[in-house]
Amino acid sequence: MRQKSRPRQMSRPRPPRHPRGPELPSRPTTQPEGAVTAGQRRTPGQDVHGDLPDALLTVRAGEGDDDAFAALVRRHGSRLLALAQRLLGNPMDAEDAVQDAFISAWRQLPEFHRDASFGTWMYRIVTNRCLNMQRLPRLLPLDTLPEPATADPGSSPPRVAESHAAAAALSRALWELGPELRACWILRELHGLTYADIAHVVGCSEQTVRGRLFRARRALTEAMRPWH
Amino acid sequence: MALDDPHPRPTPDDTPARPDRPGSGSRPETDAGLDFGSERLPCGRPLARVWEQARAPATAAIDPHTTGCAFCREAIEGLAALDRATRALRAEDRPDDHSLADRIISAVRAETRLGAMLLLDDPDRNRRIAESTAAKVLRRAADSIPGARAASCRLSPVQEGDTWHTVSMTIAAALDDPLPQLAEEVRGAVLGAAHHMLGLAVAAVDLTINAVLEPPAPAVDDNP
Repeated sequence: MRQKSRPRQMSRPRPPRHPRGPELPSRPTTQPEGAVTAGQRRTPGQDVHGDLPDALLTVRAGEGDDDAFAALVRRHGSRLLALAQRLLGNPMDAEDAVQDAFISAWRQLPEFHRDASFGTWMYRIVTNRCLNMQRLPRLLPLDTLPEPATADPGSSPPRVAESHAAAAALSRALWELGPELRACWILRELHGLTYADIAHVVGCSEQTVRGRLFRARRALTEAMRPWH
Repeated sequence: MALDDPHPRPTPDDTPARPDRPGSGSRPETDAGLDFGSERLPCGRPLARVWEQARAPATAAIDPHTTGCAFCREAIEGLAALDRATRALRAEDRPDDHSLADRIISAVRAETRLGAMLLLDDPDRNRRIAESTAAKVLRRAADSIPGARAASCRLSPVQEGDTWHTVSMTIAAALDDPLPQLAEEVRGAVLGAAHHMLGLAVAAVDLTINAVLEPPAPAVDDNP
């Protein structure tokens, strides 16, 4: 289980709160709004923005820097597509959801107040979009649903490809959960979000998140009983 | 676990988990907590607590009941089986999004927000540059100084219709060198780029350092 990330390098000197202003050539004011790391999640060789922290890229993109936004798309796109595929079960719909979410983010960025990180904000947009898409009355094409487990649940599953079969069984069991439970479980267990971030993403209290996670685990352990 | 929530609030988006549990509708905010706190194994232990202990072996070790109880062990094994399947599922979630990212980026570039149009330093006063384009060039200039990374960069004419401009830039700075020296280098780079690359007259560069740029954490820092 991943816990909330701790601040790293506690011993590192903090920025001075009141730098000696007159000695500085302009009017530098230090507002330690939380240190940013230079090396967040590098994507080597992607582009010149590859080593910039999300916080900087977000400010730049908010001022119309499309190169900065492109770096954010490359950094977060894969994770968000994985999320949308799990939430929707259909690769085409998932790509549409992620594309729409990023374009909507690009338009909203000038008003983005950074009460959450860019990543959490995108999780929120994609999750909401997927949950809304699922509320539309439509049928999922059967051939895009996750593959059923090949093993008969009543018998002991074979050792060979057991983990793949278990993953497939879990994937199907997820579809038996309601969309809200499924979203909370996926955000926690497949994406490692904190309870607080999940609460922000799905728009409910942390306590509700904990309750949903418990119910999701309860249902999933039941469904996975043949794999004990 | 907040079983006694002093601030019960209705949460309209959440329904009580177990409608069969009496009184579950009266305090919706605490329902989730009460619900998962109250489901007990046949041995009397709350399932949520058994799972919590399973995830924190340090606390489980001091509870002799759990290790000896068949019901608790079965619950823990169930969670372990789910965890194994979860790891397998996580490993499969690696979609290739390159073509999608390219499509998104093209769509975004087609909607470029130019910002204000600024007059270049040109006697005929008929050449302009978009603020967002100029800002990109000036940020790159600031980035070229080791230990500095530009964030916001706004440009505005000193007076309406003026060819002279003020640049307001925020940067994240590493603390390796004194900040005054870093600020001076950034200002020099920005002024140089404005003059030589853009042909834009800049009267002042206002710098704000509003974040600390930390070096990437070393791969192993457990044994200092």
